[in-house]
Amino acid sequence: MKKDVYTKMQILSDSAKYDVSCSSSGSESNYKTGELGATHNSGICHTFTADGRCVSLLKVLLTNFCLYDCAYCINRVSNDIPRAAFSPRELADITINFYKRNYIEGLFLSSGIIESENHTTELMLRTLRILRHEHKFNGYIHVKLIPGADSELIKEVTKLASRVSSNIELPSNKSLALLAPNKTKEKVLQPLKVARDITLERDNKPISMSTQLIVGASPESDFEILRLSSALYDKALLKRVYYSAYIPVNDAKNLPAIITAPPLLREHRLYQADWLLRFYGFSYDELLTQDRDHLDEELDPKTFWALSNMHLFPIEINKASKEELIRIPGIGVRSAFKIIKARRFKRLKLEDLIGLKISIKRAQYFILCDGVFQKSVPLYPESIREVLIKPVKMQTPKQPTLFDVSAITGEL
Amino acid sequence: MIVVYDGSFEGFLSLVYEVYYKKIKPTSILRETPKRLVLEELHESFYDEGNSLKVFTALKEKFSKQNFETILNTFMCDSIEFEMPLLEYIILGFKNQSELQNINNGSVFSVLGFTKQLFSNVHKMTGFLRFVELEDGSLYAKLESRFNLVYFLGRHFSKRFNNQTYYIHDINRSLVFVHSPEFKGVREISAFELPTVSENEKKFEKLWKTFFESVAIESRKNDKLQKNVVPLIYRTYMNEFMN
Repeated sequence: MKKDVYTKMQILSDSAKYDVSCSSSGSESNYKTGELGATHNSGICHTFTADGRCVSLLKVLLTNFCLYDCAYCINRVSNDIPRAAFSPRELADITINFYKRNYIEGLFLSSGIIESENHTTELMLRTLRILRHEHKFNGYIHVKLIPGADSELIKEVTKLASRVSSNIELPSNKSLALLAPNKTKEKVLQPLKVARDITLERDNKPISMSTQLIVGASPESDFEILRLSSALYDKALLKRVYYSAYIPVNDAKNLPAIITAPPLLREHRLYQADWLLRFYGFSYDELLTQDRDHLDEELDPKTFWALSNMHLFPIEINKASKEELIRIPGIGVRSAFKIIKARRFKRLKLEDLIGLKISIKRAQYFILCDGVFQKSVPLYPESIREVLIKPVKMQTPKQPTLFDVSAITGEL
Repeated sequence: MIVVYDGSFEGFLSLVYEVYYKKIKPTSILRETPKRLVLEELHESFYDEGNSLKVFTALKEKFSKQNFETILNTFMCDSIEFEMPLLEYIILGFKNQSELQNINNGSVFSVLGFTKQLFSNVHKMTGFLRFVELEDGSLYAKLESRFNLVYFLGRHFSKRFNNQTYYIHDINRSLVFVHSPEFKGVREISAFELPTVSENEKKFEKLWKTFFESVAIESRKNDKLQKNVVPLIYRTYMNEFMN
């Protein structure tokens, strides 16, 4: 039976939703007079789903038919689920119409493997060509490369896309062999290597690349995950690594039971740590070590790092460099810039920080303001940890007044 | 002294003139004469073309391009009482331009904060604004917002909808940003008739809603988070939130 376009949309977006990446940021504005579409450097969220995730791109699979049988994946061949496919023209048409109504920034194109890796890539390429050449569309297009496709095809796709990615999914070869028998780390990384080599050839315009790791489906520690991310940023020229808390969709003997709740807090801490790697000048081995290989659940990674390095604190905010300032827990890049801007005019005290709307909730225990250190909590890691985990709640005693009705009626 | 002016940019400039040459000292500035009894002295500042122009020229001369734009942007934040901080910002700027970088000063911090709020609003609307396709293929969007955003949004869309004809209609301020082969810019409108939408419209609205509902992950559902990131006030014209 032929499925109508709404059913197809329902099936193919449902199948793609476990891919976390949906960002459209980090590309230069590129509009052309007389054409359609432009990208926006900071990325734009067009709506947010019921789970609170930003929707920036039309994220769909071209098809959810798949030859592979990866244990964690909803679309694996051994699952009995409804299958559908868009034609390249149909998908391009929907993309353009969504774009003109300002529903989306562009397209996130991924696909199950239909017939062969090369055939699938060719279908994706056809969609890209219709968008870029026929519709003169300059908006954002993210393509999930198909591992195992010919390098020539991957090159073509890379030329037309704004960003490409290939999901590593599992942080080690051992887990891949166990859960994704059709993939190896080499195979998964192959398309990214092809894309990286193009970048190195044309050294002026780097191609933006990303990947995704599933957290909690296999036994790797946070230390191993961050070490991998860090290597990917340094060597593979990736722009982003996404972490996806494992959501059980299949029952398989090698996976955590299907009732397990997704480890959302762990995912959140990994993102915080990832941020520290990319924007705060931290290295992975500052945050974790072989012995302490999991991130603290109660404290954010930066505060945890600070408490293990108390010899560096307190930091005088009137003297510290930008690099030092952003290592203070609770001080982000924006706050650091405010401090640097404001201290050119006066020596800053704690009240000044409050006036500048800088959050001192955590920072106050790690800073000197014009030589003054806060007096309530001593500079010991244990004491600071305690107040940060259990913030003291100020209770204002209620005093009944003459006009307070409850004093008369006895109501609470 | 309470000062009342007409709420327009030019009116405000005349007020600035009076502060300098008639030595009025406002303690608060209102856009309408208060209906209640006020005990303080009340002064009504009237728009004067000559005075307004003098101040305008002086601002352009004395203020850096960026600081001048900050003043104009502040005027787009029309639902905020920005007048007192802005007046102090202008007085400070005439004395010493570099003091306008001093964010320790309350007025400077406030005024820069208005600009920040304005652009964060603009940014949100660049995502949340929704167009419908009209019969003739042009695109039309309705806008309701705290601040006056049509100009900024119009400019944003002129890049991405470069080959399209589109209208962004600010319902409450009766302004439209028009982008057509004949005219590009903001226009005031008096009367307005709801245009007929194209026959494709229903199909894509339904497709969009289908997509929106099916990408949410049930086991991660979080209504509170969703309300934080798309406050209800923005949802009026977002069809995925309509029933």
